[in-house]
Amino acid sequence: MAERIGDSTPRLTGQALRITAGEPEFVAKVEELSGENLYACYQCGKCAAGCLFADHMDFLPNQVLRLVQLADESVLTSRAPWVCASCLACAVRCPKGVDIAKVMEALRLLSLRQGETGLRWAEIPPGVPQIALVGATRKLTP
Amino acid sequence: MPDAKNPSPITHHPSRIPYFPGCALKDQAEAFEESARAAMAALGYELAELPRWNCCGTVYSLATDDLMRHLGPVRNLVRVQELGETRLVTLCAMCYNTLARSSRFVGADPERLERINAFMDEEADYRGGVEVLHLLQLLRDEVGFEEIEAKVKKPLAGVRVAPYYGCMLLRPREVGIDAPDSPEVLEALFSALGAEPLDFPQKAECCGAYQTVSDPEIVRERVREIVSAARRAGAELIATSCPLCQFNLETHQSVAHHPSPITVVYFTQLLALALGVPEDKLGFAGLKFDPRPLLSERELV
Ligand code: SF4
Ligand code: SF4
Repeated sequence: MAERIGDSTPRLTGQALRITAGEPEFVAKVEELSGENLYACYQCGKCAAGCLFADHMDFLPNQVLRLVQLADESVLTSRAPWVCASCLACAVRCPKGVDIAKVMEALRLLSLRQGETGLRWAEIPPGVPQIALVGATRKLTP
Repeated sequence: MPDAKNPSPITHHPSRIPYFPGCALKDQAEAFEESARAAMAALGYELAELPRWNCCGTVYSLATDDLMRHLGPVRNLVRVQELGETRLVTLCAMCYNTLARSSRFVGADPERLERINAFMDEEADYRGGVEVLHLLQLLRDEVGFEEIEAKVKKPLAGVRVAPYYGCMLLRPREVGIDAPDSPEVLEALFSALGAEPLDFPQKAECCGAYQTVSDPEIVRERVREIVSAARRAGAELIATSCPLCQFNLETHQSVAHHPSPITVVYFTQLLALALGVPEDKLGFAGLKFDPRPLLSERELV
């Protein structure tokens, strides 16, 4: 006789169900670099609503996060992480406590560590002060 | 006993505080440092420049594995420790953020701290525990705005100023000196000085920061929104605490959008002015848009 479903299976009570064994390497890498739990994001879009740079992004901040959740590595060619100015508005507003600025930094670093750059010396406008140069080179060059 | 021939540059007098200038204040933002030191002197405090300080790195690393990026900040904290002091005051909002976050980052994990210490050969190990303060915290929490108000010699009556906080004084929450979306510390200070602080919706929104190097068009757009919002609120001046915000707001204000630009000052220039610091120590001549015509109309300079 078939067992009735639920009779002997242990119930999960009050525990988050998280299957980590099959977590794609790309997601694990971004989580490690950012220190953020990417699956906490429930796509409310608050980060994108408040991002003053979203107009210039090909993917909105929440979409970037979704692509990472889906382990879609094409997100590495997105313009969004390079437009992000690390202003942290999203970080203080996310209702799930996800610091998207850290996720953007992780995505930049994955490219920078492959030798990519977000800044070409020849294109630096004249007269920019040291504080801007140090900031930009630290954020946008390998 | 301190060595009489080689005295420590800082004695442990509570009104002498180790101070970290950072690169910008020795370069394009000299007016910020000069006016701050003069204002603090008028309040009975000495900002004692940290010996052998080095660049903090400007931006805080947001990655978990970039320990090297914390070396610059930590070296500065070691210099504070060498003086036997426990506090370090900053003026530049970016330095404040980077130093305060690094201090927390290495302090939170003994293993991290050990690794950083292993990188430094010349310095003594950093033991943790140096508190990084922004000057506004010192003014609000220690000097007190009532005390400042009592020392005002030239009330800035009728001066309509838009306080522009930007990002790094307020975010993230752990190091923010005030509520991240509705700060009031600058407003309270300007009220104490007799000025008229104005609320405007862009006061805590990013100016584009270092994108001024890689994508100035985005910064121009941000600056247009920030300055227009300040103007709509009725501002005659914008006051900031960040040399990069100051640069962006000055440089990217376009006369195409409005014939008369709004002057962007450091908050310490208004503080020093109100405390009666002589005009030649206020650094107004170093700004792109000179506020003196406006201030002389009010008979303040
Ligand atoms: S605000 Fe937070 S939870 Fe909402 S979409 Fe953005 S990251 Fe996800
Ligand atoms: S940190 Fe980046 S993604 Fe977040 S609001 Fe600022 S610019 Fe947008």
